[in-house]
Amino acid sequence: MQVKNKIAKLTKSKGYSSFTAALLAIFIGLIIGYIIMLIASPANSLSGIAMVLVGGASRLGDVFYFATPILMTGLAVGFAFKMGMFNIGASGQYTMGMFFALYAGFMWDLPAGIHWIVCVLAGMIGGLLWGLIPGILKAILNVNEVITSIMFNYIGMYLVDMLIQGNATMYISSKTRTDYLPSTAQITSLGVQNSNVNLSIFIAVAFAIILFIVLNKTTFGYELKATGFNKNASTYAGMNGKRNIILTMAIAGAMAGLGGAFAILAPSTIPGSSMTYEPINVIAANGFNGIAVALLANSNPLGIIFSSIFVSYIQRGGTLASLFGYKPEIIDIVIAVIIYFSAFALFMKTVVAEVLKRRKTEKASTGINSDQPLSATEKEDV
Amino acid sequence: MDTLYYLIQNTLPVTIPLLLVALGGMFSERSGIINIALEGIMLFGAFFGCFFVYLVQGTSMNAQTVLLLGMLVAAVAGYVFSQLLSFATVNLNADQTITGTSLNMLVPAVILLFSKMKFNSDGITTDINFYIKEVPGLGSIPVLGKMFFQNTYLTVYIGFLFLIISAIVFYKTKFGLRLRACGEHPHAADSVGINVYHMRHAGVAISGVLAGVGGFFYSVGIMDGNIGGHTGVAGFGFLALAVMIFGQWKPIKILFAALFFAFLRTLAYSVPLIPFLDGLHINQTFYKMLPYIATMVVLAFTSKKSSAPKAEGIPYDMSQR
Amino acid sequence: MEDYIIEMLNITKEFPGIVANDNITLRLKKGEIHALLGENGAGKSTLMSVLFGLYQPEKGEIKKNGKAVKIHNPNDANDLGIGMVHQHFKLVEIFTVLENIILGVEPSKMGFLQKKQAREKILELSEQYGLKVDPDETIENISVGMQQRVEILKMLYRENEILIFDEPTAVLTPQEIEELMEIMRGFAKEGKSILFISHKLNEIMAVADRCTVLRKGKCIGTVEIKDTTKEELSKMMVGRDVSFSVNKKAHQLGKVVLSVRNMTVPSKLSKKNAVKNVSFDVRAGEIVCIAGIDGNGQSEFVSALTGLEKLSGGKISLCGKDISKASIRTRSKAGMSHIPEDRHKYGLVLDYTLEQNLVLQRYWQPEFQLHGFIKNREVRSYAEKLIQGYDVRSGEGPVTNVRSMSGGNQQKAIIARENDKNHELLVAVQPTRGLDIGAIEYIHKQLVAGRDAGKAILLVSFELDEVMDVSDRILVMYEGEIVGELEPKSVSVQELGLYMSGAKRDKAKEIENAG
Repeated sequence: MQVKNKIAKLTKSKGYSSFTAALLAIFIGLIIGYIIMLIASPANSLSGIAMVLVGGASRLGDVFYFATPILMTGLAVGFAFKMGMFNIGASGQYTMGMFFALYAGFMWDLPAGIHWIVCVLAGMIGGLLWGLIPGILKAILNVNEVITSIMFNYIGMYLVDMLIQGNATMYISSKTRTDYLPSTAQITSLGVQNSNVNLSIFIAVAFAIILFIVLNKTTFGYELKATGFNKNASTYAGMNGKRNIILTMAIAGAMAGLGGAFAILAPSTIPGSSMTYEPINVIAANGFNGIAVALLANSNPLGIIFSSIFVSYIQRGGTLASLFGYKPEIIDIVIAVIIYFSAFALFMKTVVAEVLKRRKTEKASTGINSDQPLSATEKEDV
Repeated sequence: MDTLYYLIQNTLPVTIPLLLVALGGMFSERSGIINIALEGIMLFGAFFGCFFVYLVQGTSMNAQTVLLLGMLVAAVAGYVFSQLLSFATVNLNADQTITGTSLNMLVPAVILLFSKMKFNSDGITTDINFYIKEVPGLGSIPVLGKMFFQNTYLTVYIGFLFLIISAIVFYKTKFGLRLRACGEHPHAADSVGINVYHMRHAGVAISGVLAGVGGFFYSVGIMDGNIGGHTGVAGFGFLALAVMIFGQWKPIKILFAALFFAFLRTLAYSVPLIPFLDGLHINQTFYKMLPYIATMVVLAFTSKKSSAPKAEGIPYDMSQR
Repeated sequence: MEDYIIEMLNITKEFPGIVANDNITLRLKKGEIHALLGENGAGKSTLMSVLFGLYQPEKGEIKKNGKAVKIHNPNDANDLGIGMVHQHFKLVEIFTVLENIILGVEPSKMGFLQKKQAREKILELSEQYGLKVDPDETIENISVGMQQRVEILKMLYRENEILIFDEPTAVLTPQEIEELMEIMRGFAKEGKSILFISHKLNEIMAVADRCTVLRKGKCIGTVEIKDTTKEELSKMMVGRDVSFSVNKKAHQLGKVVLSVRNMTVPSKLSKKNAVKNVSFDVRAGEIVCIAGIDGNGQSEFVSALTGLEKLSGGKISLCGKDISKASIRTRSKAGMSHIPEDRHKYGLVLDYTLEQNLVLQRYWQPEFQLHGFIKNREVRSYAEKLIQGYDVRSGEGPVTNVRSMSGGNQQKAIIARENDKNHELLVAVQPTRGLDIGAIEYIHKQLVAGRDAGKAILLVSFELDEVMDVSDRILVMYEGEIVGELEPKSVSVQELGLYMSGAKRDKAKEIENAG
């Protein structure tokens, strides 16, 4: 009996309806992925989709490795979402963070234990700056943060590519790539076979936990969520809206910057060397994948840990499915479809919640002490 | 003087995609729907247009005819793709920004997939030459001939035609009046019997058509008839949004804003040809960034008192009458 | 058989939890000006919205010229010749007068607008009825009076014969009101029939032929204006309900807690000021109530007082400190508590739990946080204390999601929070709106207890029972000014009604307001 009550309570909770909404979006996304595989090459389609679903298991190290940057960009998008802002500039913040990390890695000479930490911090600052400016513009001049962030994505991309190409220490023009970072700047690998997974996954998870604590245990988080839920009430309660917008965007930017730093400071497949970056004027895809990660987890930092692993998981599966002739872009399509359906999964979730609530109010109104809930229509001058 | 001709000749084909897509965005936002997906729709239209060109490039069709037919293909493609946006946002009240973003992510992936499978490359390359060296007759007019009728593309003239048609529809027709009402005060429109949902569907559909055509004209006029999945339309869809805001959601002002941004971009790529600028030895990338920085500056100054359509972005709820 | 052009018979319209119109019958004669009178919540707007097709009634029928009709939407209403000028104009600001008038019925040839045709007709109508408008001006640039004329022309352009006006004089200057009344008389003479909603007795007496009075959703009666008086209408409007007397002992007045001097607040809807030169004091140990009909400046006054809006002139002092320009947090720290008018919009974060909402005004204080970290245990025990002390009922106690609580308990939570703040002044706006008798009684008890404990309480209320029973002193606000200061013990409800509807004002107050 108790179990039944507990299940009933669980199914009515908000977390549950978001979870089912996410599942639904994922399910539809994967179905569409399967359909594409059927069209592209029917013979292998079952093996293809199976590979997407289970392929990641054989590459767990890599799953975590690739999850790290999008965990951070997921945090960057999700944290801002909690306050009602759409941080579409995660790509630019990511790129800027990556650049600052590269700069600290190449241009500064520091002892082994400290160098990579400084690089990571530099990355964080780079991203922070790139989130701070749109935040300030929104708070003080009321400029829409979506367009600002998009512009900053492009400005960041061009700026970083230009600065890298102009820096002889960093850039090898014959290879059109950045050089390998000095080993002191690299993040220590975890030594997992066939994978570059490194310390950064732990740092990323740590940040997710920190943001979770900030959101749920601090006064700042309290104000942030209140503003995201009800801007009017937060004003009524005396909260400083402008300061909160700026702080939130700064923190979100810092997270994305860390993502960029983790990506570039990671060890690569060539032993002893780091990742390299090719400045070809392309906007970082990881910034947009972070949106999917955040939406799937309903912007909950702990949930983002899992959704980032999930997205990375199906991405690994997708890469492996290329063995059957399927291009990895299929997974990008799956992810885009997931986001599309998440956009009105929110709608479906509220519809379900409304229906449940109406049934509850009807039950209550037949009671003895029936209050009259204030509905929207009552607000009119009756 | 030659430099001036060169600059104008090169600015115009760049202006047109910005102009058309910004007009599309205008129709959508003036009806009340924010269309962030313009970038994706452009790419989608460009892709289908180029694919059509690819299919017919072996035949002996006149290049400009191919262009016109390709334009129609792109228009239809853009319209179809925009339905994904209008269904989600108008019928299901989905968040307009998230939906738009998902569509923007979807298109490059689809194009890369298709191109890799079919052409084993990142996009489509065509070998029809759409370039017009000189328009017969008009090209020989002194001064103006060199400016507007030499070294150009048909897209420029079609683009201006679209602008004129758009302006007329927008201001002089019943449809235009009703559309604008829905973006400003949907309740007022509803109270006089206008179906706000239909109007908003129409607004998004028009933006789909114009963005599709704009994308194809981008590939024709700027990418020589090619389109790639990685570089896409280089943010032109977003720049068009900035042009729309800079142009205060009005057709003629949008034209000037588009000219302004296109000029900056053309300048960026023409620095070696302008001795004065070349002498300054500023990195070319700065010029590439100019349009985006200019957008920021413009927005910073105009956001306090913006004449954005009042009801844009707010899903229309009939129950709130 | 009288020639009734419109009959609304036995109309019942319900919303969740409330019966807005209860078996109301209204008959409109052809060529008459018929007023619809009642307080807030009486059901006037709802009834007219039913007639205009915005709402569908649960019961009852509508007849035109004796024939039953169904009005599903404004288009149907328009086809029957019914037009409505809404309280909040439905005009597109960036369009011109002409464009607004023709919107929806545009004359066109192959899709192209034929503005010349429309312009001629509009100028003709404008001449005929004396409605001066400039067809080419944009709405945002014209006066509110002209905007209303545009709304009227919309109806005339569509050849409506039955014209509904919803509180038409709310935003007009006295001169514009005169002009409007002349226009209405002109319509009636022509044979058009007019229904207008109002709470202003003077105007109803001046222009209407008959008046139907509604109270709390029921129709009290219909009277001929020439056979009645303001006093009688007032009595019908406010009625003799079983008033719920609160047991109050005599109050002990303390020092001046709130001092308001010459406060002026601009209006968002028109160029007039919403609050004009208001001055008064509230002392510790008294309940002062600002009474009046909603829409006479009370909302703007409270917004400026609490810091949600800026005032354009005057001074506010709390316990001697000037807080005219202070932030909301500063005012709260200085001792102000605020129970807002709209509990969902301002008073609560509905998606937060009960305990999170209970500390909304105090979470930053040292008792509830340390170095920015919330002290969950303290929050919990505080919440439990308030829940116990104020009998706030919820599904799961402190962790209940506030959205799922009933309106009454939501309000109790707000009151608990605002009352327990160590405040000096409590500003309570419509604290018992939408609540049942039990909750109302409870809240009134709390207000009186606070006053007995030496707090200063400023109550803003539209419920006359509440005003009479709870307050120690009544200030009546009409069109942004204080027009009367009354003692509940020595004034009758009818007289209060007269002040509230602008029919009476204190001479003394007039001098004070002008100065």
